[in-house]
Amino acid sequence: MSEADAIVRWGKLLLAAGVLLLGSSCVGVRQINELAIVTAVGLDVGKKPNTVRLSAQIIRPADARGQTGAPSGGTGEPIYSVETEGASIFDAIRNLGRFSSRRVYWAHNFLIVMHEDYARQGIQDMVDFFTRNHELRMNTWVAVTPDSPAELISTITGLEVVPGEAVDSLFRSNHVAGLAPGSNMRNLEESFLSVSTEPILAKLMLRPRGISNKKPEEQGSLEQVELGGAAVFKEGKMLGWLTPMESRALLMFREKLASGIETLPCPGDQDRRLTMEFKDARMDVDPGYSKGDIHYRIRVKMDASIVESGCAKSIASIREEAEALLAAQVKKRIERVVERAQREYRSDFLKLGEVFRNSYPVEWRGMSGHWSEVFSEAETKVEVSVRVNSAVLKAEGTGVR
Amino acid sequence: MKKLNITNGMLVAMIVNMIYVKAIGVTQGVLARQIGQDMWIATLLGTLQGIGILYITHLAMRRTPDLDMIALGDRLLGKGFGTVVALLIFLFFLAAIGPVMITFVYHLQDYFLPEAPLSLFIVCALLVGALGCFYGLEVIARLALIGCAFIFLLNVLIVIGSFEEFDIRNLLPVLEQGLPRTLAASLHFDVDCALASMMAALVLPMLKSPQKEGGKVGMLGIATSGLMVIIWSILEGAVLSAEVTSRYTISCMKLARNAHIGEFLQRYEMIMIALYSISALFQVMFCLYGVSVCTARILRLKSIRPVILPCCLMLGTLGYWIVKDHFRAIVYLERYWPWVALPIGFGLPLVMLGLRLLMGRRLKGEAAAQR
Repeated sequence: MSEADAIVRWGKLLLAAGVLLLGSSCVGVRQINELAIVTAVGLDVGKKPNTVRLSAQIIRPADARGQTGAPSGGTGEPIYSVETEGASIFDAIRNLGRFSSRRVYWAHNFLIVMHEDYARQGIQDMVDFFTRNHELRMNTWVAVTPDSPAELISTITGLEVVPGEAVDSLFRSNHVAGLAPGSNMRNLEESFLSVSTEPILAKLMLRPRGISNKKPEEQGSLEQVELGGAAVFKEGKMLGWLTPMESRALLMFREKLASGIETLPCPGDQDRRLTMEFKDARMDVDPGYSKGDIHYRIRVKMDASIVESGCAKSIASIREEAEALLAAQVKKRIERVVERAQREYRSDFLKLGEVFRNSYPVEWRGMSGHWSEVFSEAETKVEVSVRVNSAVLKAEGTGVR
Repeated sequence: MKKLNITNGMLVAMIVNMIYVKAIGVTQGVLARQIGQDMWIATLLGTLQGIGILYITHLAMRRTPDLDMIALGDRLLGKGFGTVVALLIFLFFLAAIGPVMITFVYHLQDYFLPEAPLSLFIVCALLVGALGCFYGLEVIARLALIGCAFIFLLNVLIVIGSFEEFDIRNLLPVLEQGLPRTLAASLHFDVDCALASMMAALVLPMLKSPQKEGGKVGMLGIATSGLMVIIWSILEGAVLSAEVTSRYTISCMKLARNAHIGEFLQRYEMIMIALYSISALFQVMFCLYGVSVCTARILRLKSIRPVILPCCLMLGTLGYWIVKDHFRAIVYLERYWPWVALPIGFGLPLVMLGLRLLMGRRLKGEAAAQR
């Protein structure tokens, strides 16, 4: 290779390296120490008419890491909570920039919680903003609260030092209690845009459940965030609430309800209690259509275990009665939630329209425009069958009490 | 001079790359807007039509295995007709830069670098494209092989990341809008297949034995692409729902944003986009190659190298103008581009086949005389 060729080769290499360095440089760069990482957002009606009040919980990484308390140079406060107002959500967020020393960053947001009053005015704006924003995760949890969202997102709950993370954990372990829907941005957007199904959001509230370690005599002196119940929507506006037990029945329609417990009176003895844990609840909804009338056959099958018994009789002897009692209880809950959906709210948050549409697409076309009226007139028949197949660790059989 | 060769695998990879990039997101959004949850059926029907057109392209070219479609035009009706064919293919790839740049730029700019200037994406894509063209088709084809491997990885990642939220009820009812409307919607996937048919029109003669295997390999390429794309259309319908899919220009990114593996690995769309970018760059590269080849033939040049830069400027200007305005981009994509892509991408092979059948004897005679 001649010297000139070598120079040309080295020149090309340097040029390529230069292009690599310059081409992959700092366009749109945002260093992590320049970001205000939001972990929870609260939305409320503003003080002025037609405004939005937005509260954001921003993490202080130095104080949030490891243990609670103030590391050197830290404040001891793992979060920094701020509130702002604006004519729209975007405007309120831009107003955050007036006093936040760092640029607000949404990609690690765990929770969006709206006040009841805000949700009753309509959530179209909120759904649109948070799905249009490229930074947000689609599995951000979304909930409604009757309390102040700003207070809720600043309340330290459970063992985590960052409230947003604590609520995230609450939602993740929601299947254990099974008393609220696991509503996130993805399924909210899906039901919000659906022509047949109305959205449903989890209910969060502040309850005095915590006991102070310093003043244990003041039981319930610390407020904690509690997840239970659901907010019902129709045409983008909140209509009302479902109780936690109604929400459990709702979960059978909307999600796979893995398990749950029911406490019942002992057969033949109203003063004693029997606690049963059901598992593998499977719901089949069969729609029917004849002469313009819609009817649904809702069948639920579940296995159950006796997890706590204060009954005087042996489990084996009351097994069948226990099955019937649990079936009646579950049936009552399902009928109650169907009743509220059809008669009180006239909102199909149970996905019954989707089931009908899938089975009767031609008939659906004529009804989709006025589905809420058709749905509220539909007949429903609920059948529940329960099989108690375990008493957990205890031996059960003839002769065992 | 040694004949430039590409392997059968390279051709399959090129077809997959050419179709996949736009079809998994932009096309699925268009299909969801037209026929809702039946978008996967439209994709399937489009794949079958694509297989048909690739076979027709092969039939048109198999008797003259050394000639691409422009040279075949020269042979059939003289140089004037060859120039017309070159002009049509030139127009096709020029117009194709719209959807190609929409796909490339909106993926990167809207989801990752919203503050970066548009010109950065256009210039970078064309620089890479120009480099590929400069080094020739073999380099482009090798890049397609890498792109194909990445596409496979990307599909594995999206399936794992979306499986938890898969709800088959979202895909029901099947054929809700009826077969005719689904067939009509499948034209949007045909538009993607048209890219492959025009690519085949230029590269089929470069296969080792195009006469024997061109048709088989081309059809296999379309079938593989269809399979890769249908995975996305089923996932988008079942995980996001058709209503949500229809709301987004780049619906595959919406699905990618939802994907997570367990609780720990979330928001890994950056990994996916890195895998995807090779294919997106391949598309830009081939558009530039197509335009450059046609320009060189029209100007009767022996090499495409002198025209790469002017072609870059042309494609860059048009691409920039289309992508700059999202509203214009959607109108171009849904209304104007199919009117260019389908008549040329599907019509030209049919016309060439017809002419070849009519003038078969003349071709045979000329071939014998040359021998």
